[in-house]
Amino acid sequence: MGFLELVNFYIIPGIVLGSIYALGAVGITLIFAILRYAHLAHGDLATLGAFVAFAVVTGIGVSPYAALPVAIVATALVAVGIDKVFYEHLRERPKIITVIASLGIALMVRAVVQVIWGVDSESYVRGISRPDVYFGLRIRDREIYTVLAMLALVGALYVFLSRSKWGKAMRAMSDNPNLALLSGIDNKTVIVLTWVIAGGLCAAAGVFLGINTELKSMMGWQMLLPMFAAAILGGVGRVEGAVLGGLIVGLAEELSVLILPSEYKAATAFVILLFMLLVRPTGILRGKVL
Amino acid sequence: MSTLLSMEDLTGGYGEADILRSVSLHVDDREIVVIVGPNGAGKSTAMKAVFGLLKVRGGRTVFDGDDITGWSPNKIVQRGICYVPQVDNIFREMSIQENLEMGAFLKKGDLSAAYDRVYELFPDLKERRRTLAGSLSGGQRQMVAMGRALMLDPKLLLLDEPTAGLSPRYMEQIFQISRDVRDTGVAILLVEQHAKQALAFADRGYVLAAGQNRHEGTGADLLANREIAEMFLGG
Ligand SMILES: Nc1ncnc2c1ncn2[C@@H]1O[C@H](COP(=O)(O)OP(=O)(O)OP(=O)(O)O)[C@@H](O)[C@H]1O
Ligand SMILES: [Mg+2]
Repeated sequence: MGFLELVNFYIIPGIVLGSIYALGAVGITLIFAILRYAHLAHGDLATLGAFVAFAVVTGIGVSPYAALPVAIVATALVAVGIDKVFYEHLRERPKIITVIASLGIALMVRAVVQVIWGVDSESYVRGISRPDVYFGLRIRDREIYTVLAMLALVGALYVFLSRSKWGKAMRAMSDNPNLALLSGIDNKTVIVLTWVIAGGLCAAAGVFLGINTELKSMMGWQMLLPMFAAAILGGVGRVEGAVLGGLIVGLAEELSVLILPSEYKAATAFVILLFMLLVRPTGILRGKVL
Repeated sequence: MSTLLSMEDLTGGYGEADILRSVSLHVDDREIVVIVGPNGAGKSTAMKAVFGLLKVRGGRTVFDGDDITGWSPNKIVQRGICYVPQVDNIFREMSIQENLEMGAFLKKGDLSAAYDRVYELFPDLKERRRTLAGSLSGGQRQMVAMGRALMLDPKLLLLDEPTAGLSPRYMEQIFQISRDVRDTGVAILLVEQHAKQALAFADRGYVLAAGQNRHEGTGADLLANREIAEMFLGG
């Protein structure tokens, strides 16, 4: 196999898939850092986001890119709502209760998606998209948009966290929740912000997965493990780490096909997750140990 | 001089058990008051009680004319008390400047006057303001912690063992800075392990043991008391 073939059939799809995982992993890592639990409904929220965009696409006949902002806002609101109705009441209890509750939420969200949109595969646009060839590299427009959108969204988040007052408050709360409280930082607002960001990024992950593959009610759930693997690989609480982790997991999944039967592709993330937890639980960029 | 803070017969604890039993103390305007006592005496607990972090079952705390018993920490900060806990008192993964900014979270508008004031007290910090607080030495971390607490111009500063684990040189420096802070009009209530040095430096002191008041008086009086010297100060 030539170099171009490797890049065209494995590296480029790996980076695209990795960018999608990164969008989800950033939310997972933020929730881990600020609320200190694993949010298992993350994948199904991504599914919801993807189908909200589908409703907009089919309803008013726009492109999925135009529907993306609607999906982001809607999913962010749903995430904040879920927190208010369910998780908020469990805040003082042991975290494992919220983790299990989030599994229940995952099933509920998926059930809602299945009731409204059914269980069949759908897609945003009919027909096949042909890749353009740049110096021998076969790249589809949607692949470029996916990577660029990921970089833009995560870049905006990065600027928000490092420059704005409330972004710094989020980091402070992740760093030392007690001291944040003693400094007068309002944790309720920080928590709402966390859900807005995590929910919005989740929707973006779902929509881009839908754009690059197809829409299914299980699409998000199947992304959950790779997204967690990415968050832990990068170091829990590290936004840059989640992006790096997402890209590595995406690439590893695509490249695994070279040495393993393709049925094992999905197991790659699991292997990475196990390996990291055993060898370096703080992740590549030294995050929190949970 | 008027009383700024007074804790009156305060009883309470973290859970069911009472850690503080009828503890009373007061701090006047522009006063440095130290609490000393053996490990586990309830010194840190007394500070947390002021800051609304304790289940209070009796007595009350009055600050600057308001009964603040049962107030949330958030409201107490806004009212003018800032607190530097004994441990974990900085944001490690944030720069010095960001630590200070978080200290001033409740402040609206321009922070430059507050930064200037803190950097004047701690010139070392100014040079390294982009450095991550977690990478500093113990003494410098303590300065960041105090600086953070001073950003809101509190009327009263609570310091829990600000010199723990520091070299004598840093200890002197922290004491000196505390005096400077007091001279800017801030009263200070601090807990100290280094009882001798602290009593010598403070205006007044309280000796706490087993969650109760034992002695109180000026630093000099307490130092001169044989019983105290033997009990807590190691002769
Ligand atoms: N968060 C907590 N929950 C329950 N009990 C606590 C807690 N913190 C302290 N205690 C208990 O309260 C008592 C007083 O502790 P406190 O920390 O106030 O002592 P201290 O005088 O500050 O001691 P040190 O000199 O070691 O700092 C101790 O018996 C301690 O075990
Ligand atoms: Mg203590």
